[in-house]
Amino acid sequence: MSEIKVDNLTGKTTANDITVTVGATATASLEQGLAKVWSRFNGTAATTTDSFNQASFVDAGTGIYQINMSNPYTGNVGAHTTCSGAYHAINRSTGTATQIELGTYNSSHSSVDESRCSIISHGDLA
Amino acid sequence: MAGKIIADTLEHSTAGSIATNYVVNGSAKAWGHFTMSSTTARDSFNISSLTDDKTGIFTADYVSNMSSVNYSPSTGGTHRDAVSENGWVLAVQHAGSGADDMTTGELSLSAHNASSALVDTVQATFQIFGDLA
Repeated sequence: MSEIKVDNLTGKTTANDITVTVGATATASLEQGLAKVWSRFNGTAATTTDSFNQASFVDAGTGIYQINMSNPYTGNVGAHTTCSGAYHAINRSTGTATQIELGTYNSSHSSVDESRCSIISHGDLA
Repeated sequence: MAGKIIADTLEHSTAGSIATNYVVNGSAKAWGHFTMSSTTARDSFNISSLTDDKTGIFTADYVSNMSSVNYSPSTGGTHRDAVSENGWVLAVQHAGSGADDMTTGELSLSAHNASSALVDTVQATFQIFGDLA
């Protein structure tokens, strides 16, 4: 077993380009494959259970939530996917480089607060 | 090639350590964000092309294929107030519907509105996890 103790990994040729062997011969970009934001939150209590790269959480209305990022995207183009105990959990806006807005809805497609919500997002950080 | 490190564990001074198999298996192998009426992604990773199969259905082809069809996609549509192109559900397209559903080289997704009709949603997103070939 080998172990590397390090606080930072930086590409030698390009700072944010490190290749990882992910199959017998297949390789992939380490930076592109990493989730840049994730959060598990209670939309009813407006509290976050655990998160990554989340600076703040905002209850923006019934069934509407905003996650403000610590480190922003290069543009408003993160690929977000969501899950919740509601009938739908879905992106609500075009977003911004620093904020993801999502909503939860009941079976009539009306906004409703939901206690069990999560989101994960991939993209390019600035 | 700048260099190569072979290791089983990465350890940070304060944040803890992670076995590198979590890096390999836990990394998304493809992701994308796009408007379904366009075949140009706003941003993506490991996507070679997008095909607009018909209203509400598109196919994303991978640069590097998956090792089997047993990989795990997750999806996200969008809802905006006062916007008609809302995709309440973005789902893996079912087989036999005119587009391949999931193969090692591509993924077909469909978006449905509140009436369950196919719709080109303005903001479709997805990620896939699994093993590359």
